[in-house]
Amino acid sequence: MTVLLEVRNLHVDLGEFSLRGADLAVAEGDYCCLIGDSGAGKSVLLETVVGSFRPHKGKVLLHGRDVTDWPPERRNLGIVYQDFMLFPHLNVFDNIAFGLRRQKGRRTALKSEVHAIAARVGIEHLLHRDIKTLSGGEQQRAALARALITRPKVLLLDEAFSALDVASRERMRRLLRELVKDLHVTALHVTHDMEDVWALADQVAVLHDGQILQTGSPEHIFSCPHPEFVAEFLGGRNVLQGSVLDCDASGLTHIGIEQTRLYSADPAPVGHRVQLSVRPEELAVAQKQLPITLRNQIPVRIQGLERRGPLVWITGKAAGFSLEAAVTVSGAREQKLKVGDEAVFAFSASSLRIIASERRRRAPSDSPDTLSPIPVAAVEGFAGD
Amino acid sequence: MGNRIFKAGLAGITVLFVGMLVWAMLSLIFMPRWSEVVDSTLSAEMLYSIRLSLTTSAVSVAVVMILAVSIGYVLARFRFPGHQLLRTVVDLPMAFPELVLGLCLLLLFGHEPLAGWLKQAGIDIVFSKTGIAIAQIFTAAPYATRVVYAAFRSISPRYEMVARSLGCGQWTAFWRVTLPMAKGGLFAGAVIAFARCMGCFGTVLILAGGTRMFTETLPITLYLNISYGNLAMTSGILLILISLAAIVTFEVLNHEVVL
Repeated sequence: MTVLLEVRNLHVDLGEFSLRGADLAVAEGDYCCLIGDSGAGKSVLLETVVGSFRPHKGKVLLHGRDVTDWPPERRNLGIVYQDFMLFPHLNVFDNIAFGLRRQKGRRTALKSEVHAIAARVGIEHLLHRDIKTLSGGEQQRAALARALITRPKVLLLDEAFSALDVASRERMRRLLRELVKDLHVTALHVTHDMEDVWALADQVAVLHDGQILQTGSPEHIFSCPHPEFVAEFLGGRNVLQGSVLDCDASGLTHIGIEQTRLYSADPAPVGHRVQLSVRPEELAVAQKQLPITLRNQIPVRIQGLERRGPLVWITGKAAGFSLEAAVTVSGAREQKLKVGDEAVFAFSASSLRIIASERRRRAPSDSPDTLSPIPVAAVEGFAGD
Repeated sequence: MGNRIFKAGLAGITVLFVGMLVWAMLSLIFMPRWSEVVDSTLSAEMLYSIRLSLTTSAVSVAVVMILAVSIGYVLARFRFPGHQLLRTVVDLPMAFPELVLGLCLLLLFGHEPLAGWLKQAGIDIVFSKTGIAIAQIFTAAPYATRVVYAAFRSISPRYEMVARSLGCGQWTAFWRVTLPMAKGGLFAGAVIAFARCMGCFGTVLILAGGTRMFTETLPITLYLNISYGNLAMTSGILLILISLAAIVTFEVLNHEVVL
């Protein structure tokens, strides 16, 4: 597939926020979600793509053409911000028509085009209304229509749904999913909300400290996050260090962590030190041993129970390491668990992902920081249990 | 008990000061006989003074707004070395006594090289009607700039970025988006500038001189008449009414712009 938007080795220094060699490629028709911690530089990257900031190093390319020095008006990109940025001195119709009035050759059909896109986003009945009289969801639909009417090469969204309530956010996701499909929109969407990622993204890029750490499909990023930051950022708090003890005939890698033997479906050479991750929601919690289908069964002592929304987070202390499990409230209630109890945390071998591997060194200065990510292809190509 | 005394003390100070202020203004309005005020208003001198004040202020406000919009936008949107220094220099005339500002302008326009260049171009500024407008512009521009700057600062630059992503150049984005969005602040700036121009005394007196029926604006009329022992309440009343109207308009228009 053709790469439509590409940023290469992008360096932007704005003091508090900066990019330090960010690389990203978004294929034509793809929906890319850009995620990362606060201050990572997500919005800076988006604003640099649109042309607000000029990088002091690196390039922005559209269809392979270097547009780094082009002013924003030449790039033909649509942008939708979190706070809508609808022009308050214009009504809904004039807001949507704003970009079309600047496009020679499309002004004749202006009225019908505005009505068509407004109908598509469900606000045709609001066209005569003043911006201030619209709800948040309606304003965001108007902003989306305004950005899409110019048929931009790439639609850029900067936390576009975060000012909306949960129900409006869900409706907007559904609408955007349909529009992206129907209009073949290529999009780059900065978000903090993993629901956006799961609902919309073909591709996810994780930005940290001004650099893209990992890109891939949502399934791949969530199941095989690397390096450690990505694993922790995506909620995989269970990042462990261990050594590869054996690789058996069934394809399982045996890993030793302190006195515990764990099994992973990911390959790694015997003798290597590895960094592992298992997502908290993939752990089953029981008072006694669970069926053998879950290869990893770790006896723990419950150290903490905390309710967060619909889930209960359970912290269990094993021999030399801790794990966190996220179970439903009813699941936790059924198990009647309380702090201090003994329990078993269980998970499959395919849930335990090897996120980095390195040859074991003899030097005592071994540090987890020196672990290098294992090749993505090796992980993706391996069948789970 | 302590809270009550604290509140009563604050209220007392406020009422005392505001009461004195209102009393002082009302005494100017109600002390003279109204037949005298009408006669004075219709005198040739007063009509000349009103006409000159209005004409010069109208021209000055137009120039002041061009300056205020340009400087206010530069200060609000661009970051560059010396940004803070520029802000301070622009604000400085607000802290100057008007007489000192007038003296500075007299030295600027009355001495070489500027005086020579202006003479060659056939422009008279010192002790002329043009001088009145120049004095008013330099006096009012910092006030208007401050208001307009605050208005631009309150508008997110992202509006312009959206406009530019929709095909507008920098000028079109400014003209079609930022300027209309700042219209409340612009109008408030113009009102304040007009009031400052109408009431400008010290700067006008030093640069343009206080010549009867020539460079005689409303404050100069007030000054000249008091000097001759004539209280000439009319000009004072007019200036109070203009200032009052300006402040009320400013408050109504500009309530959300924080200076």
